[in-house]
Amino acid sequence: MSFYQEEITRIKKICFSNERQLAAVVKTKQYIDNNLDKEVNLILLSNIGFASKFHLLRLFKKYYGMTPKQYLTDKRIEESIRNIKSGMTIAETCFSVGFECPSSFSTLFKSKTGFSPSEFQKRATFTKSF
Amino acid sequence: MRVKVISVPVRDQEKALQFYTQKLGFVKKFDVPLGEGNRWLTVVSKEEPEGTEILLEPSPNHLQEAKTYQQALFDKGIPYTQFNVDNTQQEYERLVKLGVEFSVKPTEMGTVKIAVFNDTCGNNIQIVEML
Repeated sequence: MSFYQEEITRIKKICFSNERQLAAVVKTKQYIDNNLDKEVNLILLSNIGFASKFHLLRLFKKYYGMTPKQYLTDKRIEESIRNIKSGMTIAETCFSVGFECPSSFSTLFKSKTGFSPSEFQKRATFTKSF
Repeated sequence: MRVKVISVPVRDQEKALQFYTQKLGFVKKFDVPLGEGNRWLTVVSKEEPEGTEILLEPSPNHLQEAKTYQQALFDKGIPYTQFNVDNTQQEYERLVKLGVEFSVKPTEMGTVKIAVFNDTCGNNIQIVEML
């Protein structure tokens, strides 16, 4: 067994031995992945993960390094980038990833990517045409 | 400041290009001759052609320290870097069929599933699926 394999086994024992906690956070994360277009909140997620709101919040952050809200936002922006690149309009994109208000989508998109959705769309079209 | 290029040290750039494109499925982005047989050679993911480039850098051939470091990591089984995949098991099976050798078979590690293969250019590379 290599040094790296031994390290994997050692770290697994130290950090990932609580299977119930892992199952709860993985289930929560997978629910978020499959429901990006729907309203997702902590109460709903705590029911999915079978843990209290604050316990789930702590667990999710412990295992994924970010809160469920941060993870959801990142996934939504990632998906919206794919949708814009595939030719979806900005309004369609906004609703397809669960935002109800185009202006809040636009603000968040710009803060994450550095471009507004329309600027990003222009760049994507320009790149594609070459 | 943005991350545009990360480098992977390789002992044979042409062999690395074949492996990273034909086996791993990356596509060549830049190939600029730099004299004495060296190239500025980068590849990108097919899924993200505008994403971060991997520079296949011939540093172990020019700097003994780079070669020593690469060899030490390799001998200990430590990955030089890692790439994300949607499904580690499927990618493992696809690569095994192409003759790629794995030192770590698909293994769950908390919230990720990992596997480690030999890139035939002096490195262990890890693939990661977020569970």
